[in-house]
Amino acid sequence: MNLISVLLPAFKSAMGEVSQLDISRSLELMGKGMLGILVVMVLIFLVIKGLNTVTGSKKKD
Amino acid sequence: MNIQIFPLLAVGCLNWLEMDKAFLYNRMCFYREKISSKISVSRALIAARALCEKCRSQFLLHCTGGGEKLAKERKKQLNEFSFLIDGAKYIIDNPKMAVMWVIGGLLIWLAIKKDFEPALLLPMGFGAILVNLPLPGVVGDDSVTGIVQWLYHVGIEASEAMPLLLFVGIGAMIDFGPLLSNPRMLLFGGAAQFGIFFTVVMAVLLGFPLEDAMSAGVIGAADGPTSIMVAQRLHSNYFGAITVAAYSYMALVPIIQPMAIKLVTTKHERQIRMPYNPANVSKTTRILFPIIVTIIAGLIAPDSVALVGFLMFGNLIRESGCLDNLMQTAQGPLANLITIFLGITISFQMRAEAFLSWGTILIMCLGLVAFVVDTIGGVLFAKLLNLFLPKDKKINPMVGGAGISAFPMSARVIQKMALKEDNQNHLLMHAVGANVAGQIGSVVAGGIILSLAGMWFK
Repeated sequence: MNLISVLLPAFKSAMGEVSQLDISRSLELMGKGMLGILVVMVLIFLVIKGLNTVTGSKKKD
Repeated sequence: MNIQIFPLLAVGCLNWLEMDKAFLYNRMCFYREKISSKISVSRALIAARALCEKCRSQFLLHCTGGGEKLAKERKKQLNEFSFLIDGAKYIIDNPKMAVMWVIGGLLIWLAIKKDFEPALLLPMGFGAILVNLPLPGVVGDDSVTGIVQWLYHVGIEASEAMPLLLFVGIGAMIDFGPLLSNPRMLLFGGAAQFGIFFTVVMAVLLGFPLEDAMSAGVIGAADGPTSIMVAQRLHSNYFGAITVAAYSYMALVPIIQPMAIKLVTTKHERQIRMPYNPANVSKTTRILFPIIVTIIAGLIAPDSVALVGFLMFGNLIRESGCLDNLMQTAQGPLANLITIFLGITISFQMRAEAFLSWGTILIMCLGLVAFVVDTIGGVLFAKLLNLFLPKDKKINPMVGGAGISAFPMSARVIQKMALKEDNQNHLLMHAVGANVAGQIGSVVAGGIILSLAGMWFK
């Protein structure tokens, strides 16, 4: 992070100034976003497994 | 009147105001002799005087410095017809509008000639021309509300009604059966959303404000309605570009995905066979699935509940088995009606002043990055899983690439690629499972982005 704070003032990107806050938030978004999706998918996975187990003995549709 | 009188008249007109009458009479006599006219000079003089009286006022204006007045008078007369050329003058003053016509034409060409998402690109292309015509027209101004402006305000800005209603139709079209019988495909639907978040970081590094960066990232959801909704909620300045990119790249999936998959897989990996042994899926599971997914999404990513809810509502209509008419209406007329107006409505954000910028070009590039990284994310995740799976249960990594939600195009692309590598390798049902999982994953990703944005930009 120190390296970023040193380099950032000298760095002007294609669309203008790059905010250090935005960089840290975007990385946070990446972490939380992927974690959130994983949690939702695992939960749905477990639900499907559960449903298939409970209702699986019935005849195939 | 004898034709020979005209030279005399001309002389009379020219000299009437400036010359002495006797001198004029002599001049006219001189001309009469020259042309051997039989007309009397006095008759010619009377005719000349009458003519001169007619043009006297204008002649006086001209001679007494009244030119400016005359010019104004003439301009006023011309202004009465200026409405005929006002539009052309406006375009000359605003050449960006003409550039948008070319872009609109390009979208129409892509839709008709190349069959790239014609249902959306054609209305958007026409809309791009429509909203870039001078004067209020369909866009409106302070005093008038244009029809496209109204559609945008009511259908997207106020309630996101259009993308949400379209999701009812999409939900009614999707069969979650392949996913329910092989639920591990859900993991690919999650992994293949990595491109969204990677693109957000890239956009921030390029200098986009975080709201715009988040909106650009959602192009990677490969899901038009989600892209529209997120960009709208975050009030992105690049709404038009994001929508165009989302739908254009979805149409380009058959080109983008094979290229990206080949970058990160070997021929041997692409030849891995996956037998399809679907588990029994009961009707109860099919009915409960949309309800439970809605509840889970609503609890973990509340901002995704509108998208997930409408998608799953459409699916519940399909799976209920007792609402065939509604299912057919949702799949057909509802989806078609919304699609017709969605393209035109989106084009409200394709006004030249909002659309033509360097930012738009960068957004288009970022959209491509999002699609490529999404695909690579899914493929690499499958390769990672293969490290832990027994040899006979390995996953063809291409199936991971189908985890983006360009449904059902992505699944078809994977099937085609698999058959190209090995004509006995049928991956379609696995790919469809990953593909519908991607539909859920992309919506959840959009919801998570909105949730975090809500915390940061209160």
